[in-house]
Amino acid sequence: MSLPRGASPWLEWAFTSVQAGLLVLDESLDVVFANPWLLRRARLDVADVLGRPFFEVFPSLRGSHFERRLLSARAVGFPALLSETLHQSALPLYALTGSPSSERLLKQSIQIVPMGTAQAREAGGRYLMIQVWDVTPLVVRERLLKQQAERMHAMAHIDALTDIGNRRHFDAMFEREWRNALRSQQSLGLVLFDVDHFKAYNDTYGHQRGDECLRLVAGIVESQAQRPRDVVCRYGGEEIAMLLPDTDLAGALRLARRVVDEVRARCLPHDGSPLGVVTVSAGVACERPGPGLGADTLILLADRALYQAKRLGRDQVAVLERHATPTA
Amino acid sequence: MKLTPLELDALSELFNIGVGQAADALSQLAGEPVLLSIPQVQLLPKAEVIRQLSRGDDKRVSAVRQGFHGDIVTDAILMFPAEQSLQLVQIMVGEQVPLEDLGEMEQEALAEIGNILLNSVVASVADSLDLMLDGSLPEVELGIVSDVLLAEQDIDEPLLSLQVRFEIASRRIHGYLAFLLDMRSTGLLEERVAAFIRQLRGGGA
Repeated sequence: MSLPRGASPWLEWAFTSVQAGLLVLDESLDVVFANPWLLRRARLDVADVLGRPFFEVFPSLRGSHFERRLLSARAVGFPALLSETLHQSALPLYALTGSPSSERLLKQSIQIVPMGTAQAREAGGRYLMIQVWDVTPLVVRERLLKQQAERMHAMAHIDALTDIGNRRHFDAMFEREWRNALRSQQSLGLVLFDVDHFKAYNDTYGHQRGDECLRLVAGIVESQAQRPRDVVCRYGGEEIAMLLPDTDLAGALRLARRVVDEVRARCLPHDGSPLGVVTVSAGVACERPGPGLGADTLILLADRALYQAKRLGRDQVAVLERHATPTA
Repeated sequence: MKLTPLELDALSELFNIGVGQAADALSQLAGEPVLLSIPQVQLLPKAEVIRQLSRGDDKRVSAVRQGFHGDIVTDAILMFPAEQSLQLVQIMVGEQVPLEDLGEMEQEALAEIGNILLNSVVASVADSLDLMLDGSLPEVELGIVSDVLLAEQDIDEPLLSLQVRFEIASRRIHGYLAFLLDMRSTGLLEERVAAFIRQLRGGGA
């Protein structure tokens, strides 16, 4: 410790007990005081620090925003605040346990408080106090809260029945991927699936079996959309949408056909259907956004293609030639 | 307070020096250029400042307050409409997800942004007008603008106020800087500004 001789007996005790880092510099930025809290976390001994220039003790801070704020606090005499959010770990201070590695750096909130003008005049120079607060627990807590918020946000985007994204999720993802496609000038694929004769299935087997049927189809669609940005959502009652970024028409058609084939291959009995088993129809659209081609057009094209597949006898994939249809 | 147009111009110049320095510091912090400009220093009644800041439905502001004392005593307050402060912090922090509210850590970031700006502008004015001042640490206040400005007192009293425009990442964010001065401080400030102008003229002659 380095408190002046003659200081009150409790003063040293109080200063050594403070649960924050304290560092005092004189006007030439030599360290005149450092408390044990700070020294232990800096892995330094009092002898390494006392009477030495601050930037020799902490050379990593040379040229940093910290240096700039420190010099300005000394020059104008106004306190400076350095927030954790804008700086991350400013001083090389580490958690007490373990090795001083970058992942053990403390998250710090720092205040640089220069001595008041009148007092500085009396003291023969402007001393500067640096206070360091360990806000690591706070940062961790906020991160957890943010993760939780994100999870809740995600839950609000999940269809309770099928466990795939819901319509809200589809709308959000569709907007995002359309913008991405516009920027990257890649084509965006959209497949709309619809369970054939689903009303008859519900009427024949009841709603519970109907729900199971939807879950099965949703699972099959999901198993075919495996890239990280592929999105599968329940689009309407028995309609499921598959959004395929950076995909060409051939790729989208291939995935759509696999789903149609796979559903048929499961041989789920369906007495209300002429085919005798559960089948799906699929409408495929794939476009590169450009002038005169809005996001709505892609959905419209997929929807019309789906209608086409139904009209041609169901249990199949259809795609429309965009140029053969009037652009809306 | 009464200042002539010439005196207000002179004050604008002095504020601008500090604003320029603050822009440098903020750019360094953000890792991309932050442009700051102040159109004009004005004397406005509190009621008018409140009216300008509470346009639209949302009357909430995020404010950074710092006290300065010495030759004069003033509370310097930087205010943003709440939603603008969210944008500013989001851009400065580099957060991708839009913020819905200022959490504890984001409030501290806003305090730092305010601290940089307030220190710079007050220092440049104090330096030029030869005012001895000490400062306090910044505090963030979230609330409605009339509370932040202590509007129950002297609602018609003119405030030294300036709009601050932040331009960052091709977005514009409007802040408001206001100084609450007591009578004695107001008198001294007027005196010093007048003296500063006389000196400029004397020097120029």
